[in-house]
Amino acid sequence: MQKGLQRFGALVRKEITQLLRDRRSLAFMLSLPLIQLFLFSYAVNSTVYHIPTAVVDQSNDRKSREYLQAMVNSQYFDMTVQFQNQNQVIAAIDRGDVKAGIVIPPDFATDTDRGTGNVLILLDGSDSASVSSGFGAAGLIAQMYSLQLTTQEIIRKGQGAGGGSLSVGASALPITAATRVLYNPDMINVWFILPGIVGLILQNLAVQQAALIVVKDREMGTIEQILITPTRPLELVLSKMIPLLVLSMLAMGVTLLIGIVWFSVPFQGSLFLYFWMALLFVVGSLALGLLISTRAKTQRQAQQMALLPMIFGLLLGGLIYPRSSMPFVPQFIGNLFPLTYFIRISRSIFVKGVGLEFVWSDALILGIYSLVVVILAARAFKPRLD
Amino acid sequence: MLTRIWAITQKEFIQTLRDRATLVILLTIPLVQLLLYATAIHTDVQHIPMVVADQSVSTESRTYLNTLVDSKYFDIVDTVSSRDAVMNAIDAGKASLGIVIPPDFASQLKLHQAQVLMLIDGSDSFTTNSAYSTANAISQSYAISLINQPISPVNAQVRILYNPDLKDLWFLIPGLIASLLQTQTLALTALAVVREREVGTIEALLVTPIRPFELMLGKTIPNLFIAFCNMASILIVGGLAFGVPFQGNLVLYVVLCLLFACSGLGLGLAISAASQTQAQAQQLVQLFSFTGLFLAGFLFPQYALPFVLRVISYIFPLTYFIPISRGIYTKGIGIDALWGPVIALSVLLVLIIFAASRLFHESLD
Repeated sequence: MQKGLQRFGALVRKEITQLLRDRRSLAFMLSLPLIQLFLFSYAVNSTVYHIPTAVVDQSNDRKSREYLQAMVNSQYFDMTVQFQNQNQVIAAIDRGDVKAGIVIPPDFATDTDRGTGNVLILLDGSDSASVSSGFGAAGLIAQMYSLQLTTQEIIRKGQGAGGGSLSVGASALPITAATRVLYNPDMINVWFILPGIVGLILQNLAVQQAALIVVKDREMGTIEQILITPTRPLELVLSKMIPLLVLSMLAMGVTLLIGIVWFSVPFQGSLFLYFWMALLFVVGSLALGLLISTRAKTQRQAQQMALLPMIFGLLLGGLIYPRSSMPFVPQFIGNLFPLTYFIRISRSIFVKGVGLEFVWSDALILGIYSLVVVILAARAFKPRLD
Repeated sequence: MLTRIWAITQKEFIQTLRDRATLVILLTIPLVQLLLYATAIHTDVQHIPMVVADQSVSTESRTYLNTLVDSKYFDIVDTVSSRDAVMNAIDAGKASLGIVIPPDFASQLKLHQAQVLMLIDGSDSFTTNSAYSTANAISQSYAISLINQPISPVNAQVRILYNPDLKDLWFLIPGLIASLLQTQTLALTALAVVREREVGTIEALLVTPIRPFELMLGKTIPNLFIAFCNMASILIVGGLAFGVPFQGNLVLYVVLCLLFACSGLGLGLAISAASQTQAQAQQLVQLFSFTGLFLAGFLFPQYALPFVLRVISYIFPLTYFIPISRGIYTKGIGIDALWGPVIALSVLLVLIIFAASRLFHESLD
């Protein structure tokens, strides 16, 4: 036992020395997560504002200007150019100068008074984010504007009839829905993104780095030297994981710190619990990387294989696209990657501020997952000894 | 000179073909991604899990809830009795939307003063946004339908050009081809030089009469071939299996794809020459492809980025190729509407090749 520990200590020391010697790689390893953090936090936005829009106002009166003003005030549309007819708008969208167009027909005002006003909204169907934002916004703005006109009308009529059934000033609608967004009442984007990003960054770092470890020794020929020592596979695997584990946790700490200080995302739950969950997750990711490493023959191969968990994690883990709207098979595949569980845990602790009683099932799965993959990695390493 | 380039090309081809596992991964990753996008990704979020506390238990409240369920946007996963229970279900992650209908809903409805409370899980961006706008819109239009008033004097008729049925895959394929070409070309050449150096075979190459430029070209050609196969496979599968129509000129598209692929391969070579170890090269590639994915307009529109990020995005060839790809594939426009991005891409390509050959020369000494 004593000897085993000694052996293990020596191995860990070797790995740490190797890691620290290559300064440039180390710098990369530590700066990459930060770059990713800033990129994601500033670039990822599920709602798109300020869609460049071309306007054709053939009506050009008070009503049409009012309506256009409502569109601009919504922040969704920026009127960047004026045209005379619909074809010019389509040409501009073809060229990619604008992403949307609003066409108001000449008889807009009179039609609106009759209750049959029509506007045409054209959207660039080659750009999905602009379309999904613009589509919803355009419909909603028209509805709100109509509602406003109708309310005015009802109130005017009511007054004319000497006080109708509706009290003046109250909403014209029989049902009002009070909406409250829990945990993130102002729907601030970084609050949504950050807990997931922590997971993605940790995964990318851990899987990638671990994937190269064993295969690097093999490609460089140094594996033979390790094999003639009395080291056991599990010891070797663990010793390679420990320095990376420390590094990954360090990267996580910095990411969290920047998120909380720079982006001022409030951390609602228990940091202590979060730390242990992250540790569990990193172990699982590292083990996954190691498993890849034992399977790969060259670093290039390992690199390609490590891409898979990254792609699957990004798309199926629930970071960007919600898992609830995925069909069964992709949902199932998503379950094979530790990121899926950690994103849920991370959001629960970070944003919702709930405790272990809510995340224990995901934590348990993550724990079992890590254990199984570590053992698999150690076993996969064995046959390669000869 | 040509024979020397050919010799290197052959060597690279043999090396690539011998490593079956890598080759299989290289050729299948694009298809895997395509399948993922085709089956898993819906930007229009439907079937949001909803928990309901209907304290009114009346015909009115049931009709109201039915309109929400009938919209297909919400699925009732649980029925509870109190508001706290609703909150609890959202805390536990069982539901993303909670609806509380108060006991006096039916009577208040007659007075036109009915209130419902919607609680939304604010921890998941897409779901939150969808739930927020959809639940409100449905609730509002139901309310409007209750009063017998011609309520919509203004009707916005929205027409989506190029993709009238809002099919997610139509949106994705042109961008996916572009982003995959970028990721793959970068990854393909990124290890080319650094690997020979790390393994020590670079010496063997240097003692041959091959010039650096020839070596560079010889290493690029097989990869260009693989990139081309990937582009073709997505075009074919996307077009035939998923029926995404190709609107523009195929020849023009393929030519511009190759132009773009060259920029990726050049960038990969530059990275390879600048890196000391394969691990470094790999990380730089990851940085480039991820950054490109987020800044170039594939996932999020480029005009919506903050100013600094938009400036950074201009150094990525992908930024210029995405409008080209979408323009030709989905919009069906010709070269006359695409001069801007094509010229920008070409200039960038020249710069990249220049930088790559400089770095390549330096790395060989």
